[in-house]
Amino acid sequence: MNVKQTLLSSIGQKLLLATSGLVMFLLFLIPHMGGNILFLFGPDIFNSYAAHLHQLVPIVIGIEVLMIVSITVHMVMAVRVTLANRTAHDKRFTQKSSQERSLAAKLMPVSGGMIFIFIVKHLLDFTLGVAKDQIALNGHMVNDVYGMVLAKFQQPDQMVFYVLFMVAVGFHLSHALQSSLQTYGLYVPREGSKIKLASTLVAIGMAGTFAIIPIVAFIR
Amino acid sequence: MSEKINITLKVWRQNRGEEGRFEVYQAQDIDTDASFLEMMDIVNEGLTLAGKEPIAFEHDCREGICGCCGALVNGKTHGSHEQTTLCQLHMRKFKNNEQIVVEPFRAHAFTVIKDLIVDRSGLDAIIREGGYVSVKTGSAPEASTTPIKKELAEAAMDAAECIGCGACVAACPNGAAMLFTAAKVSQYALLPQGHPERTQRVKNMVAKMDELGFGNCSNEYECAVACPKGIDVKNIARLNREFIKASLVK
Repeated sequence: MNVKQTLLSSIGQKLLLATSGLVMFLLFLIPHMGGNILFLFGPDIFNSYAAHLHQLVPIVIGIEVLMIVSITVHMVMAVRVTLANRTAHDKRFTQKSSQERSLAAKLMPVSGGMIFIFIVKHLLDFTLGVAKDQIALNGHMVNDVYGMVLAKFQQPDQMVFYVLFMVAVGFHLSHALQSSLQTYGLYVPREGSKIKLASTLVAIGMAGTFAIIPIVAFIR
Repeated sequence: MSEKINITLKVWRQNRGEEGRFEVYQAQDIDTDASFLEMMDIVNEGLTLAGKEPIAFEHDCREGICGCCGALVNGKTHGSHEQTTLCQLHMRKFKNNEQIVVEPFRAHAFTVIKDLIVDRSGLDAIIREGGYVSVKTGSAPEASTTPIKKELAEAAMDAAECIGCGACVAACPNGAAMLFTAAKVSQYALLPQGHPERTQRVKNMVAKMDELGFGNCSNEYECAVACPKGIDVKNIARLNREFIKASLVK
């Protein structure tokens, strides 16, 4: 097996899926959540955070490039694996899943697709080609990112969209985290697994934290 | 005490290359102490006497150790009573006048040969890629010549329990043979006799598994629920580790 054959083998593809997913989780999702939480502390802190983020442009661009690579690898591998699995499964007329198969696991391609749609919308909403109002902060003029987020989520349909898609993130993570560890060869037991429990709790915690922002913004 | 029950059997009938369909048969006065396969024998005797083609199904030892029998019974592999092969499933598990639906083990890599018999030779092909130790070892050596830790010996024996029935493939939502391959790789990876060839073994067996059109593992563990021998997903984690290690070694 050469490198290409190894990476495109069934286990190799799963390893690429797991690695690209974990890169996005560790380098993007966690810091992004940390930043988002600052929204709850009011306009000054959130706008200051956004302004500081702008000063870290080289690092931000580095992470963005890594994200584009990870998303591409993740999607290409996900599509390849899903299509191969559809073919390999063959039609079974009467098969019943056991309780072992979680809804999150069943819905991985669906929640993954939803997350992709969400990312595109999210970038269009807040990043790409969006003119931002200026606001004074400690004697400097900065982008009023807080005001932009607030205005967005005052619209009920936008708020509901964001919250709904965070449910997809939660579902995706709850299977993804524990599954990636098993793929790396770290035994995740079938019953009573603390890793499975931790995976679910982290997923609920993260999706919940992300979902709180639009809800709080809607109420404010 | 055994009793007699009546069963409506809805069975998949198919000849190779033709479209299959479910057909309904009545199984009358079946003793609840009969095994599932004995019930099938009784139905087949009736079909034969009526001049009809009996239902083809695979079986050999009828003791739950050969791995020949197997079908989806009411949507579950081997009827899915914990760690039970189809031959060890007894009619006392069913109610009087119940309808039982029987379908062959299905996966892209398992083509239907006839009725409930599917071609599982793909599993043998995976074994041929390394499910053995390729040196002549002569007669059995003295047991303490090669000391092996008790835990390792037990884990290897657990993996070696796999009878290759294919239930894991048929239960897997992706038609993957990961649990089977993992068990076979594990039983050698855990013992010193398997170590000289472990790198090549895991690479070749995984490559063959992929080539034959078995699916990818999505860690949903349906395979372990279905396994009549209780092979654990711990072996899949070990297979993944073996594969990663083998890929990093020249």
